[in-house]
Order: sequence, then structure tokens, then C-alpha cells
Amino acid sequence: MLEIRGLDAFYGDFQALFGVDLSLQPGQTLALIGANGAGKSSFLHAICGMTQARGSVRLGDTDLAALPAVGRAAAGVALSPEGRRMFLSLSVRENLLMGANVRRRGPWTLDRVTGLFPILGEFADRPAGLLSGGQQQMVAIGRALMANPALLLLDEVSLGLAPVVAQEVHAALAMLRDQSEMITIMVEQDVNRAIAAGDRFLCLLEGRAALTGPCAGADLDAIGRAYFGEDDT
Amino acid sequence: MIWFETLFSGLTLGGLYALFGLGLSLIFGVMKIANIAHGELVIAGAFLAFAVVDLLPVPLWLLLPLVTMGMFAVGYALQSALVNRVLGDDPLPPLLLTFGISIVAQNLLVEIFGADNRALDPGWLATARIGPVWFPVGLLPLGTLILTVVLFGVLHLGIGHTRWGRIVRATSDDPALVGLFGVKRRRVFAVVMGVSAALAALAGVLLAMRSSVTPFSGVERLLIAFEVIVIGGLGSIWASLLGGLALGLVHVISFRLDPASGLLYGHILLLVILLIRPEGLAGRKVTR
Ligand SMILES: Nc1ncnc2c1ncn2[C@@H]1O[C@H](COP(=O)(O)OP(=O)(O)OP(=O)(O)O)[C@@H](O)[C@H]1O
Ligand SMILES: [Mg+2]
Repeated sequence: MLEIRGLDAFYGDFQALFGVDLSLQPGQTLALIGANGAGKSSFLHAICGMTQARGSVRLGDTDLAALPAVGRAAAGVALSPEGRRMFLSLSVRENLLMGANVRRRGPWTLDRVTGLFPILGEFADRPAGLLSGGQQQMVAIGRALMANPALLLLDEVSLGLAPVVAQEVHAALAMLRDQSEMITIMVEQDVNRAIAAGDRFLCLLEGRAALTGPCAGADLDAIGRAYFGEDDT
Repeated sequence: MIWFETLFSGLTLGGLYALFGLGLSLIFGVMKIANIAHGELVIAGAFLAFAVVDLLPVPLWLLLPLVTMGMFAVGYALQSALVNRVLGDDPLPPLLLTFGISIVAQNLLVEIFGADNRALDPGWLATARIGPVWFPVGLLPLGTLILTVVLFGVLHLGIGHTRWGRIVRATSDDPALVGLFGVKRRRVFAVVMGVSAALAALAGVLLAMRSSVTPFSGVERLLIAFEVIVIGGLGSIWASLLGGLALGLVHVISFRLDPASGLLYGHILLLVILLIRPEGLAGRKVTR
């Protein structure tokens, strides 16, 4: 399970997160929501070791906070980053293979990823930079899956994608969710879609946890107030 | 006939130039820094060869791999101990550091070996000739050219078609991201600097077999290496080969036609390229 206590994150002197707590069971998906600049990406970066952080982050028996980014990757943390960040001089296949560098055991192979996203098999030898935004998003997710992660971090799953493509990506993610022990944290702009995709939600406001709870039966009005930081009167 | 010979010696000199440029271009491509000490790595390779043959007279086929491995270790150590510390968004610190390394290396070489001219005696290879009677070519220059092309081919395959090469390219694309894929970028940089130093050192040994060098000969080779990558272009290793061959041909042909001109026509070629094709003969336009 994932157990986060009092997580702070910093960019130099600027503090982006203030004491965020979270705990998730194997197989659970967290919908991480919040306005622009609320700290969603910072939260993911603090977990995977891409930014300075303070606080405790435990995944299973592993104390992630004590490890550098490389060690966290080996411990099973994988990120599909905001903006997709393709390795531009690598082909689609090579991008996916980068995910397998950490050599973790598990079900995910090139064949399974191209089974999930067939278009990636078709375009395997193309430079990743030539793909459309939606296809690149699939590469980014597939690349993270190739690590056979215990904790999958998905930043801005459908930002900038055409609605049908976003639909397609979410359909693939829903398939994953039903059949694995992997813990997933998903950042998604579209709050309704995020709540539909998650087991629990966490709404950040200016770097603090504003509201958290189960997605089933979530009160959208309360979420709206937490999201925009209005007084709940 | 004389023109065939000129052409041939232009190509062999160009192969050597290409080898000077290759390591510099590799560092520039992967780390986005200019290694001012690159010329000293070339010369250090030559002096390491002198030191080895002074100690015991090993044959050339053994000398080349020995020097290559030795200088790989030197490059790896330099990167891990020094250059990695100053890598960042600002290109100035690595520039100053490698400038400092080049000065220290020159003085170190003078301290150990003295400031005299030295050359490597290739033995029977110096006069060996091969080919038809109407066009015999020197075995040494021919071998040098072939070795150069083979090295380019090996590096091409290594970078384009191996797991190691994939990691190097990914690190060059997005050094801040590769850690999440289990890649220690400082290790990658150290290996790449090792490879660059090994290539430079090989070029240094080949250089020392055709002309004499002193501990201060690095600067001229750095200049050649820069010209090679400007003329050829960045973004592909074959561009360095093309740039090297072009520069070598121009030097040799202009020497034939106008013996007093020195490197002048090479510099003119450089200027012309900068004016009409700033991305180089085979380079990709840098778009970011
Ligand atoms: N590299 C950085 N350097 C300095 N400040 C940063 C950096 N990245 C983010 N910040 C700041 O940290 C705060 C949180 O940013 P973060 O990117 O985590 O928000 P977000 O919720 O992901 O927003 P978005 O929806 O725009 O992606 C913002 O105030 C932002 O300006
Ligand atoms: Mg973000």
C-alpha cells in the first residue's frame, strides 16, 4: 500500500505543497484534482523524486523518501509526465523500451502494451515526435507501464486531446484498473471524468489538501467549493 | 596521376580530422557543452603511446587498444570527478572548467615529458605500399582511413542500434527525465566522455605517426575539430566524417596550388559554409 504523511514540496525557496497526507490500498486509483497551479504535478514529482520534498512516502515496505529518483523507479514508481515528454530522437518502440530499463518483473511487455494501444504497434518504428498528441499520450502511458510499476503516476491524462481520443485513452486505463494490484494516481482536468475513473479523490488547493473522500457518491458541490477555494457557507 | 595522389592524401588527412571532430561532436550532442580540453585529449593519447613504447616496444596492433582503453579511463575519471559537478543550465562553467583542464594538461605533459617535439615511428609501415603499380598508396594512410571509417560505423551502430545507445540518446533528449527510467545520467555522461577521449586518443596516435607533436599541439587540433563540426554540421556522426573529409581535401589541394597559404583555404571554407549553410553540410537545422 501507499502511505504518505506530511508531504511538503519545494522549488528552491518556493514551497508548492504543505503537509499532504494520503493512503491507498493495492489496486486503488486516486483521482487527483485541483485548479491550475494547485500543486498536482508537484505532488507527483515529490513522490517520484523529481523535486525536493520533505515528509514520509512509503510504498509497501519501501521508504521512498530515502531514495533518489533512480531508486524510486527501481522500487516500482513510474510516471507518465505532464506534456508527455517523448524522447524525441527515439522511435516509439525505443521510447517504450526505456520503460523496461529498470528490469522489474511483471506482466507488461512490448506485446502487451501494443495490445492495449494497437496504433503503437503500427507506428513502432516512427520517431515518437511525429505522432499526434493522443498517440504520444499512449506512448507515455505505455512507457510507464513497461516498468511494471507498483505505483503508476499519470499527469494530465487528457489535456489537449480531442474528446474521442481522450475517451479512448480512458477506456484503456479503465481496463487496467479492473485487473491489477497496481496503485494509480491520476491527474485529470475534467473533474467528472476524474471522479468516474477513481476509487478515491483528493482535491488540492494552493498546495494543501482541501477535500478528500471516496469517488462513489462524491458531493460535486462540495468538490466545486474545495476546487475554487470558496467559503463553504 | 598527381591529382589522384593529392585526392588520396586529402582523404586520409580528412579522415584524421574527422576523428578529431567526432569526439567533440559527441560531447556537444549529448551534454550540450564545448569541451575546450578536447585537443589535449588528442595529444595526451599521443604521449601515452610514447610512454608505452618507451617502456616496452609493443606492436601497433597492441598499442592502439592499450592507449584507447587508458584514455577511456582518463575521460571517464575527468567527467565523474570534475565536469559532472559543473553541468547545469549555464554553459559557462563547463567552458571555463574544460579550459582550465586544457591548461593543466599541457603543463602536466611538459612536466612529465618535456617540451620537445616527438613522433611515433611506425617502423616498416612507414614505407609499405599497396595497390597496383600505376597507383601505389601508402599502407599506413590507407589503414588510417579504413580504421576511421570503421570507427564511425561502429559508433553509428552503437548509438543507433543498441540499448546503450538508446540510453545515451534519451539522456541527451531529456536529462531531467531519464532518472525516472532508472538511468544515472552522470554515469552516462562519464561513459560518453570516456568514449570521446578514447576516440581523441586514437586520433592522437595516428597523428603522431604522420607528424611530430609537442605538449602544446592540442590547440591546433581543437581548432580543426571545431571546424570539422561546423563544416559537417551537428546532429549526426556522419556529418563529422563529411566535414573532416571536406576540410582535409581543401587543405591538401590548396597546399598543392598555393603552398604558402597554410590553413587559409580551410578557414575560407568554414566562412563560406557559415554564410550559405550555417547548419553545416549534413547537419540538421537546430530547432527547439
Ligand atoms: N519548476 C518550478 N519552479 C518553480 N515553481 C514551480 C515549478 N513548477 C511548479 N511551480 C509552482 O508550484 C506551484 C504548483 O505547480 P504545479 O505544477 O504542481 O501545479 P498543477 O496543479 O500541476 O498545475 P497545472 O494544472 O497547471 O498543471 C505553482 O505555483 C507553480 O508556479
Ligand atoms: Mg500540472
